[in-house]
Amino acid sequence: MRIGEIKRMNNKIRFGTWESVTIMLILFCTQIFLSFPRTMAEGAGNAGWILVIYITVIVLVLFAIMSKLYSRFEGMDIIDISEYLAGNVGRVIAGTVFIVYLVSILSIVLREYAENVKTVSLPSTPIVYIMGFFAISMIVGAYAGIEALVRTSAISVPIIAFAFFIIILGVSQYYDITNLFPILGTGAKDIFIEGIPKISFFSAISILFFMSPFIRTHKSFKSVGYISITIAGILLTFSTLAYMLVFPYPASLENILPIYSLARLINYGRFFQRIEALFVVIWDTVAMLYLSTGLFFTVYIFKKTFKLVYYKPLIIPFTIIILGLSLIPQSYMAVVEIENMYFRKIVLAVSFGFIIIIMSAALLFKKMQKRRK
Amino acid sequence: MEKSNFRIFSLILISVIICTMITGCFDRREVDELAYVMAIGLDKGKTNDIKMTLQMAVPLAFGSGNEGGGEGDKSVLVTTIETPSIVSGLNITNNFLSKQINLSHAKVIVFSEELAREGIQKYINSLERFRDVRGNTYLVVSKGSAEEYLRSVKPVLEVNPAKFFELNLTSYRYTSYTAGSQLLDFFLQQSSSGSQAVVTLAATGKYESSDEFSLNGSTYKEKGRDNPLEGDFKAGNIPRVGDIKSEIMGVAVFDGGKMVGELDGEETSNYLIINGKFKNFYFTLPDPLFDEEYVVLNINSGRSPGFRVNMVDEKPIIDLNIRLEGDIISIQSGENYEDLDKLPILERAVEEFMKKDMLKFLYKTSREFNCDICGFGKEMKKKFIDWNEWEKFNWPSKYKNAEFNVNIDFKIRRPGLIVQSVPVYTTEGEKVMPSD
Amino acid sequence: MRVEIAKTGVKDLRKITDIIKSILIFKEPKEVEKFVLEEDKNEDGNSSTKEKSTKKEANSEPGSTQKRENWVTSIMTAPFVIDKEKKGGEKGDKDENSKKESKNSKNQKDNISKKISENLDYIKKKYSIPTNGDIVLREFDITVKDRTISAFAVFIDGMTDRMVINHAILQPLLMLSNLDIKGNPNELGEYIKKHLLPQGQLNIFNTFEKVISEVNFGGCAVFIDGLDVAFTADVKGWEHRGVERPNTELVIRGPQEGFTEVLRVNTALVRKILKDEDLIVENVEIGRRSKTPCSMLYIKDIANEKLVNEVRRRLKSIKIDYLQDSGELEQLIEDSTILHTPQMIDTERPDRVASMLAEGKVAVIVNGSPFALVMPATATELFRSAEDSYVRFPYGNFFKFIRIIGLFITLLLPGFYIATINYHVEMIPTDLLLAIEASRERVPFPSIVEILILEISFELIREAGIRIPGPIGPTLGIIGALILGQAAVAANIVSPILIIVVAVTGIGSFSIPSFSLAFSLRVLRFGYILLGTLAGFLGFTTGLFIHLVTLVNAKSFGVPFMVPIGPRTSDRYIDDIVRAPVWKQEKRPDYLNTKDVRKQPHISRGWVRDENRGDKENE
Repeated sequence: MRIGEIKRMNNKIRFGTWESVTIMLILFCTQIFLSFPRTMAEGAGNAGWILVIYITVIVLVLFAIMSKLYSRFEGMDIIDISEYLAGNVGRVIAGTVFIVYLVSILSIVLREYAENVKTVSLPSTPIVYIMGFFAISMIVGAYAGIEALVRTSAISVPIIAFAFFIIILGVSQYYDITNLFPILGTGAKDIFIEGIPKISFFSAISILFFMSPFIRTHKSFKSVGYISITIAGILLTFSTLAYMLVFPYPASLENILPIYSLARLINYGRFFQRIEALFVVIWDTVAMLYLSTGLFFTVYIFKKTFKLVYYKPLIIPFTIIILGLSLIPQSYMAVVEIENMYFRKIVLAVSFGFIIIIMSAALLFKKMQKRRK
Repeated sequence: MEKSNFRIFSLILISVIICTMITGCFDRREVDELAYVMAIGLDKGKTNDIKMTLQMAVPLAFGSGNEGGGEGDKSVLVTTIETPSIVSGLNITNNFLSKQINLSHAKVIVFSEELAREGIQKYINSLERFRDVRGNTYLVVSKGSAEEYLRSVKPVLEVNPAKFFELNLTSYRYTSYTAGSQLLDFFLQQSSSGSQAVVTLAATGKYESSDEFSLNGSTYKEKGRDNPLEGDFKAGNIPRVGDIKSEIMGVAVFDGGKMVGELDGEETSNYLIINGKFKNFYFTLPDPLFDEEYVVLNINSGRSPGFRVNMVDEKPIIDLNIRLEGDIISIQSGENYEDLDKLPILERAVEEFMKKDMLKFLYKTSREFNCDICGFGKEMKKKFIDWNEWEKFNWPSKYKNAEFNVNIDFKIRRPGLIVQSVPVYTTEGEKVMPSD
Repeated sequence: MRVEIAKTGVKDLRKITDIIKSILIFKEPKEVEKFVLEEDKNEDGNSSTKEKSTKKEANSEPGSTQKRENWVTSIMTAPFVIDKEKKGGEKGDKDENSKKESKNSKNQKDNISKKISENLDYIKKKYSIPTNGDIVLREFDITVKDRTISAFAVFIDGMTDRMVINHAILQPLLMLSNLDIKGNPNELGEYIKKHLLPQGQLNIFNTFEKVISEVNFGGCAVFIDGLDVAFTADVKGWEHRGVERPNTELVIRGPQEGFTEVLRVNTALVRKILKDEDLIVENVEIGRRSKTPCSMLYIKDIANEKLVNEVRRRLKSIKIDYLQDSGELEQLIEDSTILHTPQMIDTERPDRVASMLAEGKVAVIVNGSPFALVMPATATELFRSAEDSYVRFPYGNFFKFIRIIGLFITLLLPGFYIATINYHVEMIPTDLLLAIEASRERVPFPSIVEILILEISFELIREAGIRIPGPIGPTLGIIGALILGQAAVAANIVSPILIIVVAVTGIGSFSIPSFSLAFSLRVLRFGYILLGTLAGFLGFTTGLFIHLVTLVNAKSFGVPFMVPIGPRTSDRYIDDIVRAPVWKQEKRPDYLNTKDVRKQPHISRGWVRDENRGDKENE
């Protein structure tokens, strides 16, 4: 019965490799436009870019482990694996964990993006009004379904990447290579040991495991994972590198929106000067794609966990929940603190640890069952 | 039943949309409800912390299809108020101005020398945080009061004072007698622990007629020259008169947020050369073979300068390697320097001359100002592995004992239109050198 | 009394709660199997050929009349306002739906009888002959051997070609029948058909229904005493517009023929270009009263079977009174009525139809409309003008690029302008900003009102310009735009920069080849203006996002609308966005899942020789 459901789902929607890669890129790279370069600077001084490369390598290794564990369960997603392992109880626990994770990250990101838009372009607008726009696009995106979202991201990601490179290359006149020295920043210990928890920025990898029933074969799944992590790593490195090349070390800790500050500097002659407002379009698109995808997966996981038939009526209530949660912190600084202090640490456990534990447990379970037979 | 459902639903939807339309548009400002500030001037205030001067553009002057805009006077509006801080001043100004002030097009911020010597860090901080002011805004230190400077800016060649500022303050690209001191550059250099910042110096011309020209303010005597070259002045002392009252030349040197000294035009060109920001300029050289005559060259940077910094006995030894190229613009003496035998004479002369001046400039920054404006500290950073070590090293304290070695390599590339100077015949029928 | 009021009050309350409940509560969607165009496993078209041929033959046999009537029966039981009590046979009033009853009992009454007088009476009653002025009833006698048989011919004057009737029907029957008859005189019907009526298209029917529908469409019916069948000859010949230039799609390089209103002329124009025996022109009749003949064209061994079946299914399932134009047909068979983009390409040029048929698409031509519908349509198809293939490669793509810029301008420029001016003033260079402000200084309206005034008046001028008679028409367009704009600026109602914005927007919308798409963009533009003025770039981006997401979800006949960009199909076929040179376009579009994928061999220019291979020419 479970396999049958999967098959019916599988027959309907299929993604290609490139499309899956782009949607994973959106999920990973949203943070670039928020506070990622600055967080890297906080972590390792002006060696932040080394930290990014280091994190990418670690995540690649972890993904290799995870995909090897996953190869026995091809076509099933985490909820199915938990059900296989521990029946209904396992399924509900796994589902709840992921739903809570998704809802909290969505509300944090929604709040941060709305605050950014408010700071940058619309200072006197009430935050709820701005969130309303994001919420409407979230709802429409989630109603449209994952197929439409994946195709939209396949169309928009090249454009977004192009604009991103315009920003990075456009400030090249301000690059100062000496800003990268001293080469190891605040110290090797800071980079390599204390930098490990920062792999939580790649926590969206868990969404990949939910998307796997939609991807064709296990081979595609693996390559989707590797390619998207690599490209995301490259983009993150470039963004951090550009930021550090322009802003010298202690000053790089100041900017609330690193990429916005970079975009403000673009200045070629008297005319081509003030184009950072255009980049607001890019960031908003990335935000809307991210939020819609996240909302879709939340609702989808909820439906699967509690074995409902339809997921569409859940969209609006979940949006309202996310909106409400995102309004709870009192100020932008409080949001940042919540994110850094509590969230980043918990999310590591959820997205990497939990998945690995579940899959290894299920593997053991399978082996035990085989032995019994 | 279904029809009335749909109708009611659409009614509700429409009313919701209309409600948002009524309450929405919070940030919508019509273009003609805003007053655009072109320049901000900050002086030390008598009754309050700062005296702020705002120069705004009057758009009616340059509308199209209307009655021809007014004279230069009418295109700007200047007001001065006293206020505790910059943004509070905007608050006060909004009270008597009909439109709301918008700083996003401010082109220049002028600090008076008095204020600069006290320290402008607090103002820079607030400008950084305020989103309206962009990093491309130019900073200027004025030798007199900022208000006087701003009031004297009445653009003659253009209608738009913003254009005037933009063009004037980027003239360093071809004169090299000022430096590009945008808010961004100031901030980046200041916050980098290996360099300090400079700000363009500006003033109002003090001469009323060309009879009043005097060399009192010139620095040529300090440099050991007999005659002043055109770069040996600072803003305010340039011997000129004209319709345009404002002038810029030289830079002010800042240590942190405080102004500690000034450099004149020629020293600023050295600064630009060492910093790698140099584009090109006209360089006047006393003729090596003939006194009283000048050779003018157009010098541009050949390659970016290289320098090495080594620590010997706690003293930094800095070796500079500068490569320049030039074209001959004028040889007043008529001497045939274009000849390949005589070319090295000219090149050597240029090298010696510049080296002397550059060393003087470098020692001035080191001993007198103790301000590493050229950014040698950034080179020093490469030698350290770790940020903590760099901080412990404390470069600024070491800079005042620095020793410099300058090596300039200058090559003349093109002679202009004349490839060989031939002597001029006079009525006596003899070949005569013009300088005889 | 009070109890009643109370009862009605309670009923109303319940009604309101029902309404609210039905709005808020989620309704389970009905499981409708949506049509998805999948790959066709059928590689050779042999089996389908047979199917098609049998279908075609079936259509023209008299025995098939039974089948067609059953089909007609089935669609009559639609939930229209049909009064089933009306008796059939009561005539004269074509306004009510009395004509179309087709219960089985009626069939027998409508059979042609052997007695010519009965037939004559029936026809007279049906057509209200003395009242109906243009129906001609010509009675005559046929002499065969020794017998004289009376007969009459019925046709509608003005719809028929009189010459053909005289020469091919009346003349042979009247005069030539004096010749010797060889063969059995009892088989008179067959004999007359095979020997005496030299008309090309001749049918034999035995019910009045068929005969009458033929006569209605320009046929001539011949009734002969003693035969219980009637002959109908297709002698259509009414006045119609000749083949002229297409009105809407003008090209510089390329044929200048456009479709006309006559179905056969149009199909002939297409057949003239594709002289392929596999080009099938299927007949479908749509509309109960108008009985508009439509044709479905496709190439049998290229087009996907499922696509053809789906189109046929949709066409045959339409139940409507009058079908006037292909525009109505488009709205009847398209996937989604409220989607803003058209889901079919409508074109007036036969060469475009032919090239799209050769790619594997299906075309529908409606009689009476010079616009043919081609399906499925994708976003990139809507951008192709007819000239794209005829123009040389270096600049062909340049023009397409310009058109795409035109599309973005017409959709986004006013919204972008409003968002920038009202919310993001810092983005404009200072000089431009001061100039804009100077020109806006004296205008009394806020920007949004200004732009709405201008946009609406521009649309008004456009609509009016279509209907202005004669020579004033084009002049008024130009004069209206220039002088009105100028006067409005001088009167300080609008600012000059806005005139430029609106004019450029209008020009951009004219540059889009598919005017259906241009219409949709003209409407959507207002949505962007509204969003831009509500929240600046945030609203603008929200609009873009929602637009993109709905576009990507749209399907046109099972093919996703944004197909080469949306789902990435095989990327060998590059003629979607950037057109390859003609000799390089080797494959048909992948999304159509055609039966025959390759349309050109690898080397399609035989004169380009490779030394190693010697003379390799194309097949």
